[in-house]
Amino acid sequence: MARINVNTLRKEFGEGSDAVVAVEDVDFQIEDGEFLVLVGPSGCGKTTTLRCIAGLEDVTSGTLKFGDTDVTDLRARERDVAMVFQNYALYPHMDVRSNIGFGLKLSTKLTSAEIDRRVEETAAMLGISDLLGDKPKELSGGQQQRVALGRAIVREPEVFLMDEPLSNLDAKLRAQMRTELQELQHELGVTTVYVTHDQTEAMAMGDRIAVMNDGRLQQVGRPEEVYRSPTNEFVANFIGSPSINLFTAEVNGDTLVGPGGFSYTLENPSYVEGYDRIRAGIRPEDMRLVSEGGNNVDVTVVEPMGNENFLYLTMGDIDMTARVDSSMRPQAGETVQFAFDEDALYLFDAESGDAIKTKTDDVDVGVKEIQS
Amino acid sequence: MREADRREGVWKFLTYTFILVMIVLTIVPLYWIVIASTLPEEAFLTAGTAPQLFPGGEFWANFSALQDRLNIGFLMFDELLGTDFGFLGAIANSVFIAVVYTLLSLVICSMAGFAFAKYEFRFKEPIFYTILATLVLPIQLLVIPLFLLMSQLGMTNTYWAIILPWAANPLGIFLMRQNMKSLPDALLESARMDGATEFQLYYRIALPTMKSSLAALSIILFLFQWNLFLFPLVILEGDKYTIPVAINQLVGAQRVYYDQIMVAATLSIIPIFLLFLFLQKQFVSGILAGSVKE
Repeated sequence: MARINVNTLRKEFGEGSDAVVAVEDVDFQIEDGEFLVLVGPSGCGKTTTLRCIAGLEDVTSGTLKFGDTDVTDLRARERDVAMVFQNYALYPHMDVRSNIGFGLKLSTKLTSAEIDRRVEETAAMLGISDLLGDKPKELSGGQQQRVALGRAIVREPEVFLMDEPLSNLDAKLRAQMRTELQELQHELGVTTVYVTHDQTEAMAMGDRIAVMNDGRLQQVGRPEEVYRSPTNEFVANFIGSPSINLFTAEVNGDTLVGPGGFSYTLENPSYVEGYDRIRAGIRPEDMRLVSEGGNNVDVTVVEPMGNENFLYLTMGDIDMTARVDSSMRPQAGETVQFAFDEDALYLFDAESGDAIKTKTDDVDVGVKEIQS
Repeated sequence: MREADRREGVWKFLTYTFILVMIVLTIVPLYWIVIASTLPEEAFLTAGTAPQLFPGGEFWANFSALQDRLNIGFLMFDELLGTDFGFLGAIANSVFIAVVYTLLSLVICSMAGFAFAKYEFRFKEPIFYTILATLVLPIQLLVIPLFLLMSQLGMTNTYWAIILPWAANPLGIFLMRQNMKSLPDALLESARMDGATEFQLYYRIALPTMKSSLAALSIILFLFQWNLFLFPLVILEGDKYTIPVAINQLVGAQRVYYDQIMVAATLSIIPIFLLFLFLQKQFVSGILAGSVKE
């Protein structure tokens, strides 16, 4: 098993003036046995980072260490990592048994009987024992996915790398495989780096998640940490579904003045001292509908989810979302008032996007206590 | 609905009629060659005789006349075994050369195609287009420089002289490159992660998934070598002749031995026919199905 150390990683594609920087100055450490999820929008450099760790891309600068070993200049096959690809990449001309055993055959000196035994063991673990004689084209998407996983597991590598392995499955199967994957990883205790663009998946699966944007690492932390205390506006906006409601507000003494007549007087104005303008954010679940004393918003759409309702609102020219109890069911077109706790308010620097204030209620402390 | 059906029916009828006409146009000359090989020359050369539809009984007579006319050895054993093998010697020569050439060229073309499709290296594009450009050079242009080259290498009158110059077949390299491009990168990367060396990627992943393209290419290569005429004529001596050159021997200054030409042509179809039968199984499409999820 291995702790992974990614140190000031930089990756450029192309040369000279045409060079495109895909990953810049990325620094993080993954503990032994940890499940780290790299998450971010398309083109943010998460897959490139993963491929650098895998050894499928040369790094432009920076170092990679597995444990105490510098693997920066090692080839993929010398790194003892296994990777699950988004499209599975099964060998079409081999049956499932050969697909799973291929890596053992090439990279170990095991006897074929021993390889067979390990392949069968892995297949049993994944519930695909009866498919060992089939070719990949005879399998369903979910089965192909399991074979791809089996191919990684059977080698008992130092590190698992997974590049959006669930994105080709339908929603139900994806949720099922998500849990299975987590169980498997806990059972095997192999350090895992998992790439996804789906923040829900990231939140659900990662011991820690690393949020990337524009080739740069934005934040690494436990899911609830990233959710509650994002380092900047991008992370706040990217993590959470539905997304956080963000708008620009003028600072007027201790009062925030926003679009559509929004006005809020801070109990603790020290946060906004020295700012003329800030970006304010409220999570949809922190929006409360009140009968008086709140700010006005217009209801555009009401989406009943059964257990709760999603309200799509406009405040001036800003679109907002609120998650409210299913008993609250305003009509579209109606104007309602909303309020929120100051504890739940996020404030960001309007220029740099850096967080000035994140959630300050004491749940955070509680979570930490349970964790430790 | 009925109108559409009728129109489709007419369209089908026209299509099949067209295909049938094409088949007849292709088969009739072949059939006539086979028939003519069994007839005395007068039966099909005399003006005013109606073409015969059914085989006659002169095949063996024509065949032994053909065998007598040609002095060709058996492969490289001409000194050992003499040159009494007649046209059968030419068939052996042709088959041997074409088989060796096809195997060698398959290896070279698939390797080059793999490299051009899947690797990045300096001057990749210029090199590729230079290779492609040699496709337009006619063989007549190459005969003299190739002859000089081969004689400097001491290869005149050897089989290598007609195998090596075309071993890196530009058309083959082009076709393999196009096919190899369809091989998903993830498949190769996956094998790399599994510990495969670059050669193993080629040998264990690329080649097996390219079976049907390799089968198609082997027919192209085999036929190319099978039909090669001008250069073998120049570089080989009589006892090493291949089929096309041997047949050319039957066209004399005084007389053309049509009956024997027909026998030779009939015999020379057989190996090609067998090759098609043998490779037909390999033309299975969709071998890549199920490798990567689209």
